Amino acid sequence: MTEEVIAKKEVLEHTGISYGQLYRWKRKGLIPEAWFVHRATVTGQETFFPREKILARIAQIQAMKEDKSLDEMAELLSPEASEEGSKWDDPTRLRAVGSEAKTLLWKPSGYTFRELVGLAAGGEAMRSGVSRPEAELLVHVVRVEDELLRNPAGAVAILAEKHIEREGLSLRVPFVVLARDPIKLDSQSRMKHSSDLERLVEQVKLGLGEVR
Amino acid sequence: MAQQNVSISGSGKIGGGDYGNVRISGAGKVEGDLTAEEIRISGSGKVMGTAKAREITVSGAGRFTGSVEAKSFQASGACAVEGDLKTGELRCSGSQRISGALSAHYVRCSGTLKVGKNVESDVFTSSGRFNIEGLLSADRVEINLVGESRAGEIGGEKIEVRAGSGFNLQISLARGFRMGFSGGSLHTNVVEGDDIYLEATRADVVRGVDVRIGPGCRIGRVEYSGTLEIHEDAEVKEQVKA
Repeated sequence: MTEEVIAKKEVLEHTGISYGQLYRWKRKGLIPEAWFVHRATVTGQETFFPREKILARIAQIQAMKEDKSLDEMAELLSPEASEEGSKWDDPTRLRAVGSEAKTLLWKPSGYTFRELVGLAAGGEAMRSGVSRPEAELLVHVVRVEDELLRNPAGAVAILAEKHIEREGLSLRVPFVVLARDPIKLDSQSRMKHSSDLERLVEQVKLGLGEVR
Repeated sequence: MAQQNVSISGSGKIGGGDYGNVRISGAGKVEGDLTAEEIRISGSGKVMGTAKAREITVSGAGRFTGSVEAKSFQASGACAVEGDLKTGELRCSGSQRISGALSAHYVRCSGTLKVGKNVESDVFTSSGRFNIEGLLSADRVEINLVGESRAGEIGGEKIEVRAGSGFNLQISLARGFRMGFSGGSLHTNVVEGDDIYLEATRADVVRGVDVRIGPGCRIGRVEYSGTLEIHEDAEVKEQVKA
């Protein structure tokens, strides 16, 4: 699955921002490095972005920049800078996690950022019809991940099921894979749910910014 | 909380740790990660690990094997940072090598600067030579060329590249180029900015709003959305108005 891309100069045309702003936002980490895709074209080297993501991000920045400084925005948006030290006690207050995730909580308080992202993935899965034990599996695989959550560009968590049939025995085993797109599963496995970690990380961050 | 000050003036070694002021004026080595208020190296100093300080000054030969973080970093000797350098202000008048990325608010370089990855700063001014493998990005890029400089790409708001200081008059500069003599040159793949003025620059693509291509430039393609001026002693193969 390839994402639709947009050239840098079209981004500028489309949004009315300047080169200076784009480079500044990149330096501040408001636009992830991973979104800058260099490609050789007939007219020389050009930079492309994932179309939907960059346009949404710029709209977000433009909406926030009235009352927030670049550094404050960077803290909210930059996926690379996850908020490690702090802990939160009431995850279900976050819209990204949602009340569905109430049954997924495993301790009364002190949830870390990574755990919140895990819960957000679980909550979202349950909302789309995934059973609680399977959503729980998803939560606990995501919450122990470090590298992908620190730099979640293109990262997904896939909940799948492997069907094993042997000597009259038929088993369906659920499992979770964390990786960056694209992911291939073997033919006996079926994808049941896919969580876009990049989006979830961002939603949790934005949510925390609102709650605070 | 008073931290210990250390001074190595002969030849010596200390372990890493948290110090007040660290001065190395002989040959000194710090074995481990170093945190200090101030690090001054005027002899030959080596930090085997990361370094973090409010102020770092290197006037002899300094080497940091890890990444370095400082509010202000001044190098007038030969200094090598083998990791990334993150600083508020970098002033280098000697020879500065950074194997990783450089991120700063203000960079002023009048010596030679070599960077293995990207350079990010609010302001970047150079009147020396630089060789940047990655992207040079700053709100304001001011380059006075001396000798040959290189950057993978340059991007920012206002970008100004002027050929050597010996030729302040446009006429003599143009004549100088015709005679095959130049004060300096810049090689890069792409220049992108809102307000661009270039002299003695070779680039594949220049993209901007208001673009002025001065004498001594050889540009493959200029894409602009505002205005474009091309000096008679510049060569632009292709120009496109968006």
